[in-house]
Amino acid sequence: MIELNATFFAQILNFVLLAILLRAVAYKPVVKMLKARQDKIQESLDKADADVAEADKLLTQYKEKLAQANAKAEEIVKNAERRSGEEREAQRAAVKTEIEQMRSSARAEIAREREQAVTQLRAEVVALSMAAAGKIIAKNMDEKENEKLVAEFVDRLDKDKIGDLPC
Amino acid sequence: MHEIGVRETVQFAGYTFNWETLTMTWLAMAIVLLIAYLATRKLSLVPSGWQIVVEMAVEWVDGQIDAMMGERGRFLAPLIFSLFLFLLVSNWLGLIPFLASPTNDWNTTLGLALLIIVMVHVLGVVKKGGHYIGHFFQPTPVFFIINLIEELAKPLTLSLRLFGNIIAGEILIIVLLKLVPIWMPIPAVLWLAFSVFIGGVQAIVFTMLSMAYLSNAVKKEEE
Repeated sequence: MIELNATFFAQILNFVLLAILLRAVAYKPVVKMLKARQDKIQESLDKADADVAEADKLLTQYKEKLAQANAKAEEIVKNAERRSGEEREAQRAAVKTEIEQMRSSARAEIAREREQAVTQLRAEVVALSMAAAGKIIAKNMDEKENEKLVAEFVDRLDKDKIGDLPC
Repeated sequence: MHEIGVRETVQFAGYTFNWETLTMTWLAMAIVLLIAYLATRKLSLVPSGWQIVVEMAVEWVDGQIDAMMGERGRFLAPLIFSLFLFLLVSNWLGLIPFLASPTNDWNTTLGLALLIIVMVHVLGVVKKGGHYIGHFFQPTPVFFIINLIEELAKPLTLSLRLFGNIIAGEILIIVLLKLVPIWMPIPAVLWLAFSVFIGGVQAIVFTMLSMAYLSNAVKKEEE
């Protein structure tokens, strides 16, 4: 059962042949493929890392842009507010000057009216004086009576005296 | 084996060959090559089917070699890979009815073991030169005798361990089938299952020991 013969050498030959064939058919391609897979995975990992870095960069850029845009918007709003404030101020000033104008014109009107009134009054006083004179002439009594009439008239005048205008 | 202990022989060019061993070896080689062909026919980055099996074997062998010998041993990987696949297929071949394991013949196992041991010594001398020869005389020259016995025992133990395990398994299957009536196949089935386990274990043991011996010759000396 345990006898050695030429099979021994045949088996060594067989195995060496098998090893050579397997090396060519299986081992080398598989190792090559494993290497390729490793490279592929490494490449994918590298790419993923690069993508993450790129995304981070983009995010920073966008944040920066957003901040810029916010600042700009704020500036625009501020500008608008300032401009509207100025406008309001200008309007208020305009209104003020208008009111001032109106007031001064009203004052002028009042003064003119008073002037007119004084003129009228003077005319009336003249008419009354004439009437009083007429009365004196009509009565034409003694001097004593005359004096009394004039004094009376003048008293009445003083009573109706308006302002500091001379009669 | 049709009758235990008797081998069919053929004469060729004046030499005697065990015919069954030869044919079974060629069958095992054909199966290994077929698996290799199926696995590598269309290699893809995303593996499937036999490619996964062969990839696992290649990665296991590469890992073992890296652990035992470092990068310097990588050139031995195809040999170890072939050895492992061939032994695994050979050991299991004998469990199929009407077939036999090539490894149930001492010619096969001694051939493989001697091939490995000769490689060990050749590689040792080539890689390390006189230092390799010198280490047989360490720590004192008297130890050369012990070392010599150890080196002679290596191929013997390596080959006889595998041969004994496999032929014992096959003989016991035949014996069990003869002893136990056919309507009670449980012992034979149990032994068959155990033989599957033994076949795997012995393939691994032979391969690992070969690697261990080779690593002695190849790996860098630790200072």
